[in-house]
Amino acid sequence: MTHASMAAPAPKTEPNPTPVTPVRNSGRYLYAATVILLCAWVLVPLYFLLVNTLSSPEQVSTFPKSFIPEFDLGSLQFFAGFQGILNALKNSIIVASMTMVMSILFGAPAGYALSRFEFRGKETFRVLILLTRAFPLPLLALPLAVLFIRTGLDDTTFGLALVHTTLALPFAVLITFSLFSGIPVELEEAAWTLGCTRFTAFTKVVLPLILPGITASAIFAFVISWNEVFAAAVLTIENRTLTAFLLQTLGEAPLHLKFAGGFILVVPALIFIFAVRKYLFSMWGIANR
Amino acid sequence: MFTRVQMLGAAAALAVSAGDVAQADVLFWSTQARPAEEAQAMRDNVLDGFDGEVDFQPNEDGPWLTRLRAEIESGTGTIDVLGSLHGNFSAMNPDNLVDLGDMGVMAASETFNDLGRLGTDTLQYIPWMQATYLMAANREALQYLPEGADIDALSYDELIAWTANVEEATGEAKFGFPAGPDGLKHRFFQGYLYPSYTNGVVRTFASDAAVTAWEAFRELWEHTNPASTNYAFMQEQLLSGDAWIVFDHSSRLAQAFNERPDDFVAFPAPAGPEGRGFMPVLAGLAIPETAPDQDEAKALIEYLMKPEIQIETLRATGFFPVVNVEFPDDLPPSVQAAGAAISAMSGAPDANPGLLPAGLGEMGGDFNRVYVDTFERIILGGQDIRTVLDDQKGRLAEIMQETGAPCWAPDAPSDGACPVE
Repeated sequence: MTHASMAAPAPKTEPNPTPVTPVRNSGRYLYAATVILLCAWVLVPLYFLLVNTLSSPEQVSTFPKSFIPEFDLGSLQFFAGFQGILNALKNSIIVASMTMVMSILFGAPAGYALSRFEFRGKETFRVLILLTRAFPLPLLALPLAVLFIRTGLDDTTFGLALVHTTLALPFAVLITFSLFSGIPVELEEAAWTLGCTRFTAFTKVVLPLILPGITASAIFAFVISWNEVFAAAVLTIENRTLTAFLLQTLGEAPLHLKFAGGFILVVPALIFIFAVRKYLFSMWGIANR
Repeated sequence: MFTRVQMLGAAAALAVSAGDVAQADVLFWSTQARPAEEAQAMRDNVLDGFDGEVDFQPNEDGPWLTRLRAEIESGTGTIDVLGSLHGNFSAMNPDNLVDLGDMGVMAASETFNDLGRLGTDTLQYIPWMQATYLMAANREALQYLPEGADIDALSYDELIAWTANVEEATGEAKFGFPAGPDGLKHRFFQGYLYPSYTNGVVRTFASDAAVTAWEAFRELWEHTNPASTNYAFMQEQLLSGDAWIVFDHSSRLAQAFNERPDDFVAFPAPAGPEGRGFMPVLAGLAIPETAPDQDEAKALIEYLMKPEIQIETLRATGFFPVVNVEFPDDLPPSVQAAGAAISAMSGAPDANPGLLPAGLGEMGGDFNRVYVDTFERIILGGQDIRTVLDDQKGRLAEIMQETGAPCWAPDAPSDGACPVE
């Protein structure tokens, strides 16, 4: 390709083509290198996780690794027989789903209001939203647990989802706020003149446009809930999430079980992100807003 | 999208109703047997023989304590039995624990039972199991032992010479020390280095003998793998070969022996001018005042104290019994190796056993901090030993004054708070 273009006579419109080509080429190399680096950043750790999960305990602590794992299923089998792991997986999915639904349900209207309406204390409100992330959970967990025990929310997936929603809400509000701000209000006004109410204008015009953004914040909420350990460990006993159930037992576990456990924690989240990724990219190419 | 949302909502509603099902299991809330394999062995081999259902839930210290505090504060409990280290119990208010003195079970060692009373006149927790810290080495390193040195009776000077020989021969510093954020380095200073050099921990903190101790440790550090500031479980570095000679908690070495029993040896901690200092690790069982079923909880503790169950616990966790038992022959390699090293250590003519810090209450963490800070300033920061000790001495004296904790072995007994001399 490059050879052919070099051989072709330089177009007349470009007065001095020779210095452009190396610059453009190096730019292209830089671009490719960046893409490869970013992909490797994500994929190499996942790859090592996979290889070590499928290695026997003796192989795990050796280096260098063979490129193709030896498919030793011992570590995974251990977790297959680990008491309560399926129940914990179920709880994790339930809590993460509830967190996702609730944070969008509460976050999107708040984001809409912030971008469309003027009201007193709007700026303060925006900062206050962020404040919910300012206090570390280990600090909040004790009073929360006391409150939950007294109100009967203790040890329920719903109660835990409430806590996780609080953690995810700032992201949901701020992401949807910037999305709504990116959609001209004229579009909505046009819909109103054509017979839409405020609500139908929202569902028929604005919502399809922001769906990718909603998906993004839903993924955020899901991942935040999926990864949270401390509150889950304190606020649930019988209804533990997978993270609370597994992560605490992995910290001091032998290396091969650490890898297998990490693999088990990562895979469901990856499957979920792949399942919803079409909503991220499909909508009229505005996903990059 | 909307149907999906509705579906999730329905699933959520279902889950809330399912969460309300009452459970009558005995909830065993533990900070011990946390690693996945140990937890599994506790459930499958130790607790399954109990007459009744046990829900064994191992936790990290943070969630363990937070949940317990929340239950005590709200007055409504779900936890029946607590399993944890002496340090966690001693940080609690004894009023929040059920008195266990009338249960009729206790440890064989009166020293341990005394620790279990937490300064009151009756047992607040029942000593459950014990472990200690040990040395371990790759067999490859044995050829570099200094001439005339007996691995079961090493001195600190011989250990330093040995690590120097290894470094000279291999070109790498292969002593491994758990100095990472999760490593138990403070126990080495409190239970090993200080008692061996100064015959004390608190009184002798800034003595001239302590300066000698830190000088020796600084020398040892020169032959220590510099990545040690990242290590926490020396079994990993033993297995990977990054370290050949290591110090750590016996259960943090177990995996190495169980995976490759023929490649490693366990041996006693070294001796200094004041003898072979070493320190036990003690775990206990207690019942919080808020336990929903105290009778069942007591039954579980009685069950766990039976000799045959203590042996099963040893197999599961690598922690040794606190009651008198007959050891069977088929124990795992890690237990056999550790057991032999422990008896060599406690049976040594120069043995200088210490005790766990007691009476510090919730300042146990601050107490450890003093030793860790001292280590970081002297060894990592390269500051002058005398200056640092005189500096940290003030903080240590404050802690002792504030808690009023009397001296524990090997420090000479004190009237009132243990003085820093």
